[in-house]
Amino acid sequence: MDLILPMLVDGLAASALIFFIAVGLTLVFSVLRVLNVAHGSFYAIGAYVAVVIGGFVMSAGASPWLSFPILFLSAALVAALLGPAIERTFIRFTYGKPEAVQILVTFALFLIFEDLQKLVFGVQAYYQDAAVSVLGISDIGGIIYLNYQLLLIALAVLTVLALRLLMRNTRLGKMIVAVVADPEVSATLGIDTRRVYAAAFTIGVFLAALGGALASPNSGVAPGLGAEAIVLGFAVAAIGGLGQIEGAAIAAIIVGIARVVAIYEMPALEPVAPYLVMLAVLLVRPYGLFGAATQRRI
Amino acid sequence: MKTILAAVALTLAAAPVLAQDAPEGAPDELGMGIFTFTSGPAAAYGMPGRNAAELIIDQINEDGGIGGAKIVPTYVDEGQGGEGVVSEFRRLAGDGSVDVMVAALSSGNCMALAPIADQLEMPMVTWNCDTHQLFLNAEHPYVFRPNSSTVPEFVAYAAYVAQNNPDAKRIAIINPDYAFGHDAAQIFTAAMKAFNPDVEVVAELFPRMGTPSFNTEISRIAAARPDIIFSNLWGGDLENFVRQASARGLFRSSQVVLALGESALQRVDLPEGVIVGVLGDGFWNSPDAQDNEAAQAFAEAYHGKFGEWPVFPGMKMANTILVVKQAYEEAIAEAGKWPTKDELLAALSDIEAETLTGTVTVREDHDGLVDQIVGVTTGGGDKPALAKMARYPGSDITPPVGADPIEWVSTLTPEFAAGLPAPGSYE
Repeated sequence: MDLILPMLVDGLAASALIFFIAVGLTLVFSVLRVLNVAHGSFYAIGAYVAVVIGGFVMSAGASPWLSFPILFLSAALVAALLGPAIERTFIRFTYGKPEAVQILVTFALFLIFEDLQKLVFGVQAYYQDAAVSVLGISDIGGIIYLNYQLLLIALAVLTVLALRLLMRNTRLGKMIVAVVADPEVSATLGIDTRRVYAAAFTIGVFLAALGGALASPNSGVAPGLGAEAIVLGFAVAAIGGLGQIEGAAIAAIIVGIARVVAIYEMPALEPVAPYLVMLAVLLVRPYGLFGAATQRRI
Repeated sequence: MKTILAAVALTLAAAPVLAQDAPEGAPDELGMGIFTFTSGPAAAYGMPGRNAAELIIDQINEDGGIGGAKIVPTYVDEGQGGEGVVSEFRRLAGDGSVDVMVAALSSGNCMALAPIADQLEMPMVTWNCDTHQLFLNAEHPYVFRPNSSTVPEFVAYAAYVAQNNPDAKRIAIINPDYAFGHDAAQIFTAAMKAFNPDVEVVAELFPRMGTPSFNTEISRIAAARPDIIFSNLWGGDLENFVRQASARGLFRSSQVVLALGESALQRVDLPEGVIVGVLGDGFWNSPDAQDNEAAQAFAEAYHGKFGEWPVFPGMKMANTILVVKQAYEEAIAEAGKWPTKDELLAALSDIEAETLTGTVTVREDHDGLVDQIVGVTTGGGDKPALAKMARYPGSDITPPVGADPIEWVSTLTPEFAAGLPAPGSYE
């Protein structure tokens, strides 16, 4: 009973990072109808860029508080450099193609990025924890937590709200919603779907890179980070319902809590906890918690 | 200049026989296959092994090699996975380029390679793999381990804890999720219960290797309020865990035991008083090693070449290659010429070798007897150092030949632990 509070805090902190991994993936799928395996690479690259820039700036004697804008700027940099370029050169050729083709192309991209990461960053682990150090700690239920972990929970909530605002209150968001509903009719009405696709993909890359950047202060950044991210991201996106942003948030919380409960009560189950949840959900709701079957167009 | 002097000193110390005449039939080159991790998270532990191999081989070759034969190393990356490692072993053994294998870092790879070494009749000397299962119910005529196994390694930690923290009853364990982690948990727990029947395990976690965040595990351990936290995490996982646990106060609320902690002393800031060791005696800054010119010269040369002090995986590698060298020299002396494979095997099968950090004895079952050094961290300094050290004789804490290791551990008593060298006795 006295473990419920720590479980909840741990679960929400874990959920926050899982959400950042999954939300970009599900956004890209909802707009582009592409299952992007390379999404995990953007998560890893975001982490690498954040620790490298952060390390460089901190070693120059800058204030540790600067590490926070660096995390966001790193994600923006990755998105700006890779988002439009990858969408134009690779992803667009998979539009409308069978899922197997999409997965093969994006998996190839993933493998290329994995090797490029080793080429550029090497195989050693990187650490840059200025953001963690500067925020300090809190005692919750007799257990010390990093305030940075609590900040991640708040940032995940803010991201959900920001995406809702984007979709409902901005011109770009409304165009995205229209394209999601019916790309052909949207194009007929004058919406430049090509630009919408590029924008949505870039936002997806930004969210993935932001997830990696935000994870980096409290974990080592080493080869293999992207692979774990994409597997977990797919599981969460499937549980929430592909294309469902709020679904991704709820699914992230369920998976996060499930993993934490497993570690507390039955550690041997922890590695498979997300997939047991996925299995249970998809057996009952094949399109995920918030997903729905789509009508086949004639 | 300091580096050059160190290299010269090492050259002199590591070469008992200088400018020797080559024995009859000696080849120009002696091929040595060396297996370690040079990529992936395990490279944090494996690269120091490779670096040490390069350095010690260079020094040996500068002295004229082994019996006049220059060592020609072929390095194999264990990061490619088990299948690739086995294929490389077969290839090197088959193409005639290698005369002896120094393999491997991973216990899993050693278990896979041992029967192949026997099948291909290729002498294999292990440099790091510690699993006690290597020679358990299995004879490997071509495989030798001039290092310790998991049993004495983790019994040593239990003995140290029993003496250093006699009132400790609640134990939490966080080990990697594969044989090395599970074996260590089993041995450490059995030894702790043998030394103190009141001991209970309040948390036992096995995160998979490569886990980026241990935060939930840290919370779970903190919630269990353990007196002792034991871990044999290593490489990148160890560094990650230390950084995260340290930030969350775990080192202040419990006595932490990091079985492979010495390997991370130069990479992370460990607070004072953490119990760490070197899985053997391979600590270049121990009292014995400080009195050994060759060890100090090796450490200085390593520092000069690679920019950091050698960690225990490096010392284990260097020591193992020196054991191979001594085995060849003994076989040459015995045969009066370059030895046959059988003569080399005979020399390895009962060798007692002086290494850079102590003495190793290979028993009749081909397993090694090596002392265990355990101590506590000093909280930093110019060079890695340990305080309150104990050096446990390998013969005292290693199960006898043929004994079931875990059963043997359960027969130990509190009196046995009390009779071992006390923390601080090795100064």
